[in-house]
Amino acid sequence: MNERELIDLLKKKDRTAFKTIVQTWQNMVYNTALGLLQNTEDAEDTAQDVFMQVYDSIATFKEESKLSTWIYRITVSKSLDLIRKKKRKKRFAFVQSLYGKNDELAIDPPDFFHPGVKMENKENSAVLFKAVKRLPPNQQTAFVLNKTEGLSYNEIGEIMNLSGSAVDALLQRAKKNLQTSLHEYYEQTLK
Amino acid sequence: MQKNINHKIQETFDSLEGMEKASVNPFFFTRLEARMNNEKNVWGRVSSFFARPVIAFACICFVIMVNTAVIFSAEKSDTGGIRQNQEIATVDEYSQVSSNLFEFVNTQP
Repeated sequence: MNERELIDLLKKKDRTAFKTIVQTWQNMVYNTALGLLQNTEDAEDTAQDVFMQVYDSIATFKEESKLSTWIYRITVSKSLDLIRKKKRKKRFAFVQSLYGKNDELAIDPPDFFHPGVKMENKENSAVLFKAVKRLPPNQQTAFVLNKTEGLSYNEIGEIMNLSGSAVDALLQRAKKNLQTSLHEYYEQTLK
Repeated sequence: MQKNINHKIQETFDSLEGMEKASVNPFFFTRLEARMNNEKNVWGRVSSFFARPVIAFACICFVIMVNTAVIFSAEKSDTGGIRQNQEIATVDEYSQVSSNLFEFVNTQP
């Protein structure tokens, strides 16, 4: 079944076509969400949300881009929405702690160890992911798509509606910000 | 020290080299299907809608407002009842007085 046939069948709400789409892109969606959210449960929930949206909104897919590009866009959008929602929750967390309920750990869990990172690099990658979390959303997205998904600048540009050179500039700024964050971190820890 | 920090930063950046992509749970599609079937169910949709904190909070506020309105309107109607009773008592008192006066006037020799 090629992509065109899959889309046509999915528009008719064919369950087999939907299963094929899920099985083809589930790891891509999960890995992208995991890189942005840095939490396995959130990444799985978000991946489910993404495919539910694909199923519900396939009629609005204009086929101007590849199906994978469209799915990436939904994944990034849902992941960033959840990050914003968690930041709002965190702002009100002090109210919860007044009543003896401290959910801060649940809202902001400790170090994130990506399952795909080599064992000898886990500690350093945890530090890097912590710094990535503090980047602005655009830079965070470009960095994750480039480093964890291995996408080219043009592919990232298609997903983010940017040119290749704009993506390059975004990644340069991300790298600079990360260097600053990491410098501050290591200045404190290596004293 | 600076050289050490720069070396550590470079090491940190290089920590993602050769990383593999994470794989989703093998039962992902099963769980997704179960969730979609659950959402299809009307009661599931209704309960998940009302379970949202904002909606639940709004319902509680609405209930409190309705109760407050009922209490205030009940107090107003009670005050009206008391006035009515007072009027009846006044009328009774005057009717007794007037009947007494009538008797007084008419029994005088």
